[in-house]
Amino acid sequence: MKTLTRKLFRELYGSIGLLLLIASIIAVGVTCFVAMQSAYHNLEQARLRYYRDCRMADFWIDLKKVPLTEVQVLQSIPGIAELRSRIRFMATIDLEGTLEPINGLVMSLPDQRKAVLNNIVLRQGDYFTDRRQNEVIISEKFATARDLSPGQTIHVLLNNRRQELFIVGTAISSEFTYLVGPGSFVPDPEHFGVLYIKRSFAEDVFDFQGAANEVVGSLTTDARDRVDEILSRAEMMLDTYGVFATTPLELQQSNQFLSNEIRGLGEIATVIPGIFLIVAALVLNVLITRMARRQRVVVGTLKAIGYSDFHVFIHFLMYGCIVGVVGGVLGSLLGYLFATGMTAVYQWFFEFPDLRSDFYWYTHAVAMTVSVLCAVLGSLRGALAMLRLKPAEAMRPEPPKQGGKILLERLLGRTWNQLSAGWRMALRSLFRHPFRTGTGIFAAMIGAGLLVSGFMMTEAQDYLLEFQFYRTARSDIDVTFESEKSIEALAEVQAMPGVDHAEPLLNVAATFVNGPYRRKSGVTGLVPAALLTVPYGADGLPIQIPDSGIVMTRRLAEILQLKVGDRFTLIPVKGERRPVVATVARIADSYMGLAAYADIHYLSGLVGESLAISRAQLTMDGNPRHLNALYRELKRTPGIESVQSRTAMIEQLMETLLQNQFIFIGVLTLFSGIIFFGSIVNVSMVSLAERQREVGTFLALGYTQTQIGGMFLRESMVTNLIGSLLGLPVGWLLTWLTAVSYNNDLIRLPVVSEPWVWWTTLVLAVAFALLAQLVVQWTLYRMDYLEALKVKE
Amino acid sequence: MSATSDELLLDLQDVWRTFDMGEVSVEVLRGISFDVRRGEFLAIVGPSGSGKSTILNLIGGLDLPTSGKLHYGDQDLASASRSRLTKYRRDEVGFVFQFYNLVPNLTARENILMATEISENPQDVDEVLELVGLTDRASHFPSQLSGGEQQRIAIARAVAKNPKLLLCDEPTGALDFETGKLVLRVLVDLNQQLGKTVIVITHNSALAAVADRVIYLRSGEISEVAANETPVAPEEVVW
Repeated sequence: MKTLTRKLFRELYGSIGLLLLIASIIAVGVTCFVAMQSAYHNLEQARLRYYRDCRMADFWIDLKKVPLTEVQVLQSIPGIAELRSRIRFMATIDLEGTLEPINGLVMSLPDQRKAVLNNIVLRQGDYFTDRRQNEVIISEKFATARDLSPGQTIHVLLNNRRQELFIVGTAISSEFTYLVGPGSFVPDPEHFGVLYIKRSFAEDVFDFQGAANEVVGSLTTDARDRVDEILSRAEMMLDTYGVFATTPLELQQSNQFLSNEIRGLGEIATVIPGIFLIVAALVLNVLITRMARRQRVVVGTLKAIGYSDFHVFIHFLMYGCIVGVVGGVLGSLLGYLFATGMTAVYQWFFEFPDLRSDFYWYTHAVAMTVSVLCAVLGSLRGALAMLRLKPAEAMRPEPPKQGGKILLERLLGRTWNQLSAGWRMALRSLFRHPFRTGTGIFAAMIGAGLLVSGFMMTEAQDYLLEFQFYRTARSDIDVTFESEKSIEALAEVQAMPGVDHAEPLLNVAATFVNGPYRRKSGVTGLVPAALLTVPYGADGLPIQIPDSGIVMTRRLAEILQLKVGDRFTLIPVKGERRPVVATVARIADSYMGLAAYADIHYLSGLVGESLAISRAQLTMDGNPRHLNALYRELKRTPGIESVQSRTAMIEQLMETLLQNQFIFIGVLTLFSGIIFFGSIVNVSMVSLAERQREVGTFLALGYTQTQIGGMFLRESMVTNLIGSLLGLPVGWLLTWLTAVSYNNDLIRLPVVSEPWVWWTTLVLAVAFALLAQLVVQWTLYRMDYLEALKVKE
Repeated sequence: MSATSDELLLDLQDVWRTFDMGEVSVEVLRGISFDVRRGEFLAIVGPSGSGKSTILNLIGGLDLPTSGKLHYGDQDLASASRSRLTKYRRDEVGFVFQFYNLVPNLTARENILMATEISENPQDVDEVLELVGLTDRASHFPSQLSGGEQQRIAIARAVAKNPKLLLCDEPTGALDFETGKLVLRVLVDLNQQLGKTVIVITHNSALAAVADRVIYLRSGEISEVAANETPVAPEEVVW
């Protein structure tokens, strides 16, 4: 090993603590980058494989009922490569020993196994046999959650008939990679599953001989960008069969959730690590500049001996390089581990046949390069100073820094003199090292910003839950009817055991059209002064549903470019299905889906029908025995498509989200703690090293180590608090940016905050500063002040 | 006996060095002219601020004159590029500093290695250590060596590159009397036995007794040049 390299390693060892702190900031950045990028690739690759293996469709058309002969007509549309028709219904699953309602999505599959579009991947058992007609393949997670396996039977209410189904296998399918029940946004496999039955059996039980109510299709490669146009033509051709919805792959719920996650990961995978690397580069800059300056005479000697400027430059650059390599390697390893962890969490949310954590060498190579580059940039200033240093100049001690009054002294005037000596020293030191002070402030700002944004993110989730599941929707149980009922159906439900209050809803699927802007969604009809579904305005007050006009949620209004008072065309997918003109009466806040509300009578009138209801919302009296009785009663009642216990769903949701929130907050606090701690310790230690003689003098004068430590604490507290205060709006901004980049038709993150977000951030910032101060204090206690007094500078 | 030959090694003619200090400029050297022969032991003596160190920096290729001529053999140092000066320092010059300037993180041996590694024709490190009598201290770090030992290691480092010219800046300035004499002995031996040209700058005129020739400096000018016909042995020097 070359002697200079040996010198380098010994010096690195001498400052190992500080350098490791910086390396750990880099490592955190690299960890985030590698973890997120790897998770991104894991998901993306798994999606590609899964979609290919299952032959994922390019579009879905949901209709009331269409003869199969008519479906074939669609083949004439240029661009359509393949079509598959199927039967699809919601059903209630009746498990032995379980009273609470379990909903299932029943789908038909060919009797004989074929490579159809949206095929399944068998996980357990086999495909259908010829032995029984009532065979069923159930979704894997539902089977696991309910402890079901091939060979067992379950009972399902199909078309008002209680059918016994024989489980032959469990399976997953790419169209349900993210499987959520109606009205939810996280998977709840305990209360929702998919049931695949034989096509012939489905035709029998649903009276769908030679007919289907869903068509899925694939497009030729060149037609993929014309999907909207093709779907419009298909819709026109199938118009008479009641098209509820046409959904391109892009808007398919599972794919949309998955794509949003992948896209979000990809975007955030560069922003967050970037922030860490900038902080690391700045802190490294402070340290390396100091290390280089301390070696001024050594540099002079090296140059006098005959080492070239370039040699010396590279030597100092190597400090950063090694820190970068250490941070990079550490981050790469941790990143791979985190990616494996993240992938496991994703496997919980998404169902893939082979989601695995792979090693992507290019991700690691990029991470390593960026980490070394950032560290080299961080050491550039110090190395450049040494490059420029003339040897003769280097031999002389560094001239003393400028003294004189700082700006603050002039600004404060007489008040300045009232400050204690300790405060004056601290403030002068801060002002005389603007770069170092700036670095400290910046690091604290980023640390606090990360904390704020993390806290706001959890606050956003809580707010969203509260808003959607407690304020807007307030029922305990939702009962959806198979087909629309007259208002008498409500009275029947109202009379059931334990029901405190019942309200009707009418859901009308419709296409909203405003000039060139179109979107398929639905309108929910509410009774006047409804208590169980209450839209809220931007002012935070409940909106009274007007007698006429539509209350539209903001996202839908934005998509359609509509504002209050504007008129638009509504094409309902029921009744006479004639286009009608409606007015936007109010804009409501909403964080999920693209809802619209109207008075139930007005809505019925719009679709040209008398008053009808499609759902009943119930509140219960709180007696669990009554609840069980209600469940029993509902199971016996014909004409019910699904019963949803919102309480059970919310419980499941809260459990899942809270668990993840704890992990998220834990990791975030650790990461921002590393930024706070690493930067404060570094800046303080550099300052301490520079002022060793000053410290020695104070000790000689009779100051205690604690008193001297207090002077350094003043400095770090001032920088830390200024930075943290600046970090509060930065955190808000980060949250806003994340919200903007993640927002979609399915779900939007509200940018909301509570006082706890701010004060917890500040308390943590102070705690980290105090923790860092312990290191400074410990160094002070260990310092040989007699030696310090001898320092030749 | 001195190893002085007739060969001209260094030639300074009307050398000026001015430092700009913001509003004022300070003339540190004012028209200095002298030459140095190969194998000569030259002492440059003067009080603080007389310009001694500046001369050493110029001769050593650490600095450039503001005006005047400065030649090392046939090389023009006054107009040499940075890289040319680096090569000059690497191949031709060995420096010995008042405060030794050893790299604290390297052992005595490694400090010497640091110099030999960039030299084209280095001496054997062990031989050099033996020359300064510190073979048994080779693996010690500077902080574990006395001042005299540190200075001898610094001399060994300077010599190890096998330079023609040894430039010593107050080599005994930080040492006590006895140790100082030991260090002087090493320098004299290097001059007499290995034929190295040695230039020592000092404010201590007593040291001049060991030199072949003494240049006295005052306020950036040469006040006197004295040839020493009978240099004394370092052991006989008294200060």
